[in-house]
Amino acid sequence: MVDFLQACINGLLTGALYALIGMGLALIFGVMRIVNFAHGAFLMVGMYTSWVLFDKLKINPYIGFLAAGVFLFFFGYLVYLLLIQPIRDRSDFMQILMTTGIALILVDGVQLKFGADYHQTNIELVNRTLRFGPFAVNAAYLLSFAIAAVCIVSLRSFVVRSRTGQALRAIAQNREVAPLMGINVTRIQGLSFALGIAVAGVAGGLLLPALYLFPTVGDDYTLKAFVIVVLGGMGSIEGAAFGGLVLGVAESLTSFYIGNQWALIVDFVLFLLVLSLKPSGIFGRQRA
Amino acid sequence: MIRSWKLWVLLAVVAASCCLPLLVQNDYQMQVVFRIALFAALGLAWNLVGGYAGQLSLGHVAFFGVGAYGLALFTSHSVPKWISIFLAAIVAVIFAEIIGRIVFRLRGPYFTLATIAFAEVLRLTATNLKITEGAIGLPTPALFTGPSFWRLFYFSAVALAVIAFLVNGWVSRSRFGYYLMAIREDEETASAVGIDTPRYKLRSLLISAFLTALGGALYGSAFQYIVPDNVLTIDVSLQIAIITMLGGAGTLLGPVVGAVLLMSASELFKNQFQESHLLIYGILIVVVVLFLPEGIMGGLQQLFRWRKKPETARAAS
Amino acid sequence: MTAVLELRNIAKRFGGLRAVKSVSFEMNAGEILFIIGPNGAGKTTVFNLISGFLHPDEGSILFNGKDISRLAPHHNARLGIGRTFQIVKPLKNLTVLQNVMLGAFMHTGRLQQAEAEAGRILDFLQMSHWKDLPAHGLPLAALKRLEIARALATKPKLVLLDEVVSGLTPGEALALAGLVKRLPEWGVSVVGGVEHVMQVVMKIADRIVVLDYGAKIAEGKPAEVVSLPVVIEAYLGAKYKELPK
Repeated sequence: MVDFLQACINGLLTGALYALIGMGLALIFGVMRIVNFAHGAFLMVGMYTSWVLFDKLKINPYIGFLAAGVFLFFFGYLVYLLLIQPIRDRSDFMQILMTTGIALILVDGVQLKFGADYHQTNIELVNRTLRFGPFAVNAAYLLSFAIAAVCIVSLRSFVVRSRTGQALRAIAQNREVAPLMGINVTRIQGLSFALGIAVAGVAGGLLLPALYLFPTVGDDYTLKAFVIVVLGGMGSIEGAAFGGLVLGVAESLTSFYIGNQWALIVDFVLFLLVLSLKPSGIFGRQRA
Repeated sequence: MIRSWKLWVLLAVVAASCCLPLLVQNDYQMQVVFRIALFAALGLAWNLVGGYAGQLSLGHVAFFGVGAYGLALFTSHSVPKWISIFLAAIVAVIFAEIIGRIVFRLRGPYFTLATIAFAEVLRLTATNLKITEGAIGLPTPALFTGPSFWRLFYFSAVALAVIAFLVNGWVSRSRFGYYLMAIREDEETASAVGIDTPRYKLRSLLISAFLTALGGALYGSAFQYIVPDNVLTIDVSLQIAIITMLGGAGTLLGPVVGAVLLMSASELFKNQFQESHLLIYGILIVVVVLFLPEGIMGGLQQLFRWRKKPETARAAS
Repeated sequence: MTAVLELRNIAKRFGGLRAVKSVSFEMNAGEILFIIGPNGAGKTTVFNLISGFLHPDEGSILFNGKDISRLAPHHNARLGIGRTFQIVKPLKNLTVLQNVMLGAFMHTGRLQQAEAEAGRILDFLQMSHWKDLPAHGLPLAALKRLEIARALATKPKLVLLDEVVSGLTPGEALALAGLVKRLPEWGVSVVGGVEHVMQVVMKIADRIVVLDYGAKIAEGKPAEVVSLPVVIEAYLGAKYKELPK
């Protein structure tokens, strides 16, 4: 029983980061219906940004992640204006191709600049384990969990309460009518895309201490992000947060009971199950 | 005779491809040309689903891999090589039937994501299963031996491409093809006109899977060793889709043009740019999507259509 | 004689909204029946129910005596129900001829036959000069005719024309109405759904069914129905119930 709960706890810790990644994509795909196959690549750029700050300026990733977020915000906005906005109304096909192209550019670009070598930050926090009764919790993971939790809550508040967030949801509901209410659609969509990417960057920064860093590290996360968005339900930011936690726990349990290698398969199996049984996701509403 | 010029083009291309080996200087170049021909075939196979039916499958590598693994596994159980290939393709069709029934119920990006998911599940399964020796991989028998090894493989690939081309040609001029195009344009309207959309989508997938699996088996045989990260990787799915899109999805020559251009360019980049060929690949995709969404052949057709007088213009398929 | 179309106590809900509440009516072969009603009365829902895009929660729909309530849209089409859509849906990247051929393919597998059949229908609808143009460039009036042509190519016994003249100029609308009036010559019964263009309805309908808030409030010949107080109230509100004659 203790083992089970321990696995769950580990799952929740990673789950919080998954939740962040998922929420970023939920903004972009769930709300704006932009099929962003480059999500993981942006995450990877976030990781590298944090790493550069750590490597060159000795800035701890647990502070550096903020810079990664800011950098990716502006970068995302630029990408949106130049590459995504022009094809906004084209088919999903085109969006997938475009974002796949962007991902290739990012991954290979990073590889050219930084090489294909694996890197690792060695922060002593990663080696510290805190004990809560029978449970062991890695200090670094706990810290990233806490930071992620704060980000998740702020993000949700922002989307629900702020004017930009409301404008975004207005656009999501009816793109033609929104401008009539004084909403600058291009700008708001650009901001939301940028925000989604920034969130991915933040998640990347927070993941850095825990993982090996290499150019293709983000690839798996794109698919994970989509699984999370589907799990949680389209258009639902809270759903994505929940989906992320569910995925984290599912992977952790699978790892523990069946084996590490099967953890990824769980992602897809869950994905296919949800799509087959309740396509609107756990929190989603049926589309008329 | 209708469309006779297309037949002439086909003959010309086939003749050119038969003469090509004369220009090739070494085995490595022959191998490159083999891959180009193979991917032209794969692109043509994908074109049925992604081009005519308009269903963006990014999981086609699943059939490719099943073809390769089928060949390896059947022959390791003493089934003769050529029969193994055929059986492997049949298995791929069975997979297509199962996968298709599930994924075609999904719309838009969900469909695409599901196809990716299926292919990934297959890859991970192959990596973790005893029978497929996991990441270590399996040896595959060579269909041909001797000094003309690569030349024979090249001709096999060309043969497969020709078959795929003919299938495309037949589809584009048949009721089946029209139905697929209707499905691509608007599924609701297609239903209203009496088209059983799931059935036709599935049918296109079955044919496509069969051809793709043959390609996979050929590939496996040529390189005589297969690993999951080679024959079940999403990169292959992406490459097939990109070649076809670049050349022009839904056109007859598109996949061929795309394969030749893209893969030659890729080879050139590999030699000149070594490190950054994926980067250029990515830039190419972005440029095509922004400026040439119909692909090369599609773009040419549009141009052609504008030039001709209205009463003689025909939407070529 | 069996009615070509019969709706028995049809009901359809969307979540909490009862879009159609127990609607029943019949129509005979060769008739031109129009379903009218103010905005949101449930006409398109009824059309979707008859053509199989939606299935009724209660009641049944009979087509030539056969219960079609639970069939998929392409089945209904194959049984002889054709339809056009309120928002035209041409297959944009195909030519006008190819669009219509799709309908013709329901009865033949051969390209040439389909082409010939499609050509004939386009002639009847006076669209031959548009034949080889891609559908996406056409003006609305032509697109409306294209919708009808495509439906006719399936050799239907019943065709559902949803808002077929909406968006057309009065001249275009009357011309199209004239064509619709001739459809029974081709053995086709017509169910039309219309919101506002009453002149058309008055001119060509044999009978009218009036819906309001998902329920049938009147049925009968055009002249009789439109002066019924309950119909006037539905369109204009209770204040106008008693209109000076």
